[in-house]
Amino acid sequence: MNPDGTPSDADTQALPRVLLVDDDEVNLLLTAQALRERGFEVVAVQSGERALELLGEWLPDVAVLDAMMPGLNGFQTCRTLRARSGFESLPVLMLTGLDDDASISCAYEAGATDFFVKSTQWSLLGGRLRHLLRSSRTRVELERSKAKLARAQDLARMGSFDWRAGLGGPLFSAEGLRVLGLDPDTALSLRRLLRLVPPDARQELMELLRDTLRHASALATDMPVTLPDNKHRIVHVEAEPEFNEHGLASGYSGFVQDVTDRRLAEDRIRHLAHFDPLTGLPNRTQLNLRAESAIEHARRMGHQVGVLLVDLDRFKVINDTLGHAAGDELLMEVARRLRSSVRHSDKEIELSLDSMGSRSHRLLEAVGRYGGDEFVALLPEVSDERDAERVATRILELMKEPIFVGGQECFITASVGVALFPRDGSSVADLMRSSDVAMYAAKSRGPNTHSLYSPVLAGRGREKIELESALHKAIERDELVLHYQPKVDARSVRLVGVEALMRWRRNGVLVPPADFIPLAEETGLIVPLSEWALREAARQARIWQDGFGFAETIAVNLPNRLFERIDLVEYIHQVVTQYGVPHHAIELEITETGLMKDSGNVNMTLQRLNEMGVEISIDDFGTGYSSLAYLTNMPISELKIDRSFIRELGRAPKSSDIVTAIIALARSLGLRVVAEGVETLRQMDVLHRLGCRLMQGFLFSRPFPAEGMQAWREHALLERRPAWAAPRVEEGPDDATRGKHLRAAGARPGN
Amino acid sequence: MRALADNAAKQEVNDQMPRAREAHDDAASAAVTGTSSVARLDPQALQRLRELDPTGAGKLMERLAKAFDASVARLLPQLLAAQAAGEAAGIRHVAHTLKSPSASIGAVKLSRMCAEMELMARQGRTDGMDEKVAALSTELSAVQAALKDALVSSP
Repeated sequence: MNPDGTPSDADTQALPRVLLVDDDEVNLLLTAQALRERGFEVVAVQSGERALELLGEWLPDVAVLDAMMPGLNGFQTCRTLRARSGFESLPVLMLTGLDDDASISCAYEAGATDFFVKSTQWSLLGGRLRHLLRSSRTRVELERSKAKLARAQDLARMGSFDWRAGLGGPLFSAEGLRVLGLDPDTALSLRRLLRLVPPDARQELMELLRDTLRHASALATDMPVTLPDNKHRIVHVEAEPEFNEHGLASGYSGFVQDVTDRRLAEDRIRHLAHFDPLTGLPNRTQLNLRAESAIEHARRMGHQVGVLLVDLDRFKVINDTLGHAAGDELLMEVARRLRSSVRHSDKEIELSLDSMGSRSHRLLEAVGRYGGDEFVALLPEVSDERDAERVATRILELMKEPIFVGGQECFITASVGVALFPRDGSSVADLMRSSDVAMYAAKSRGPNTHSLYSPVLAGRGREKIELESALHKAIERDELVLHYQPKVDARSVRLVGVEALMRWRRNGVLVPPADFIPLAEETGLIVPLSEWALREAARQARIWQDGFGFAETIAVNLPNRLFERIDLVEYIHQVVTQYGVPHHAIELEITETGLMKDSGNVNMTLQRLNEMGVEISIDDFGTGYSSLAYLTNMPISELKIDRSFIRELGRAPKSSDIVTAIIALARSLGLRVVAEGVETLRQMDVLHRLGCRLMQGFLFSRPFPAEGMQAWREHALLERRPAWAAPRVEEGPDDATRGKHLRAAGARPGN
Repeated sequence: MRALADNAAKQEVNDQMPRAREAHDDAASAAVTGTSSVARLDPQALQRLRELDPTGAGKLMERLAKAFDASVARLLPQLLAAQAAGEAAGIRHVAHTLKSPSASIGAVKLSRMCAEMELMARQGRTDGMDEKVAALSTELSAVQAALKDALVSSP
């Protein structure tokens, strides 16, 4: 239809098609002619039978049937075609005589859309047909949009209802009933509807309904329902009141929608935003909210709040050696124990507790996960510091029990820092800082202790922060240097390589590695530091190569963290290429723990490095978790016997046993062995006797700056001044023979 | 049976039809207004019919006359047979069927006669039916003739 309501054939583009059925030739002729004149396309037939035959293959826009015909009359024809599929909504106009009331009612009974009294007023007939076509089109459109609406409601799990005053329960559409899990033709009384709601929520809903009706206000609520299949869903109800012409509320019309999925998603989002997915404990956000509420409450009521920061002591080691999965397991167990140490409440806190009553602040009490291995216990009301310390002691007690993770018994200890509101801080941030300072104090005092905050401690905390920020700038300020300690073949008095050791020249003072490497590891700065070391080693190798033909290797200590860099291989390749030194100029020293972590990836990295010519040495061998399997699996070239074994050599009677075993192991696997920390001639002699000729230690040289290299070479190797390098009498004939043989063959020492 | 005689007369008229049409062609301008026989047809109704085919291109009047003749040829024998057999239902059917096209072509009197006959038949009255049938038959012939005249006088 046009907006202005005038009939137009443009709507249908083609002329409207009329099937005209009349047994009388004269009328058929005249009517057909009249309709054609008025812009219809007419197919005229003389009997109902013929019409039905025609309709088998053709669909007009409207049918005009003469009521009285021999054979099938108009009524019979109409009834027959209505029964055919596709003709349910074809507009049918029945032509009747003027004085024929019976025919008129018969026409409607037979399914005719309308009737028309025969007349020679052709324009009236034309007008009636146009009207029929228009309303038919409107009806088709309506049906279509109803179907669309139903489909859309279905997709949205939505349906409508009407609730008329005095007409019993709300009347639901088929879609609405489907939302409630009911068949399309279910008669739903209000009682039955309310019974779908679980009893605990029903009372509340009924009150809301009463209230809504009393005020004739709009209704919008979510109601839990238990559907006939026993599934629990959340249905959103939204209804607007309707008023009659007198302005009185006459009922409601509205929608129901299944919003279960949305609600679950919202709940999940809210939960994720406030709780730690691993342990299920409140996260930092939630803890901060609780702490703020607790402080606010304490300020009003004049009591104290306790904040306990719990940090696990050796968590990183466990994570590194047993893997992240085991680390996670451990955190979950720790969380479980911590939860039992306080009156933990899982209730999510979003806003202030004003509405929750005077003792409600007790609901804030909880343990939360603040960071990786940091937990916080919030005590919303403590009478004094002893109160808080009692909880700290309880926590430490709980940690003492061994924890089984990754099929292994682990002992974990924690350090607890305690801070109190208002004494140690007036805001959440202040309290957290104070508890952090106290926690570090506890850590330095030894494992499994707690410490109360005191202003004296704060200074120390600041020192650490300063150190961290200074370390950040160390690289760009060029404050880092490498010192080098030679690895020698003590028997042939040859240099086989040097180990690069990092030093930090801070404000003119050389900071020993022990004072900053742990901090660097903790903060992640170890990664850029190590990258700098690799670059610097390559640069130095080039300088020495140009200076005096240095062709040995520089070993760089590689922390476990660096293996997390997937481009480690490319990085090393890039630095040696940049300085034009061969790949084998760089050797990597790594610890056993580094190898055991995620061995698949590490192995691949090592394999590629080895193929490239970069050799791998195992540092501190014999002290870590000695899973020896990796020695055979991984492309390792060298083992360095830890200095603790060397120190005892020649002192304790059995001290050489382990060293002997390591040397035998290395020999059978075809690995070089280097003894670290050799300080005396005696140790050197024992090592010689045991068959180990590669050594490193103060006996040969302390670590020196790069500039010292040339001088040391000349002094120690060429002039043979030091005691260890002076010609000596071999102690055993066997060793002497082997030594000569090796020298004669010119083989690489120990290989 | 007078009716039969009338029928024969009507047949005669029918036979003359082609000639009448030729006459119309020859003397198209002869008669614009209706003759006395044309007066049997309501001028207003005739006007409406002409308006259905204003240019005459559809030869509506010609087809109409033919269709009416065909109806009469089919229905009149049915009427006579029903009357002979005394079948009120048959009479009623013919009367009903003729009533509407008669009105359509403006044969007001004929249509009214049909209506009366239909009513009589429905009520089961037979008195004077023979006369009614005869009169109807005569009127039919007259209307047929008038239609042909109208054809001549149509534009």
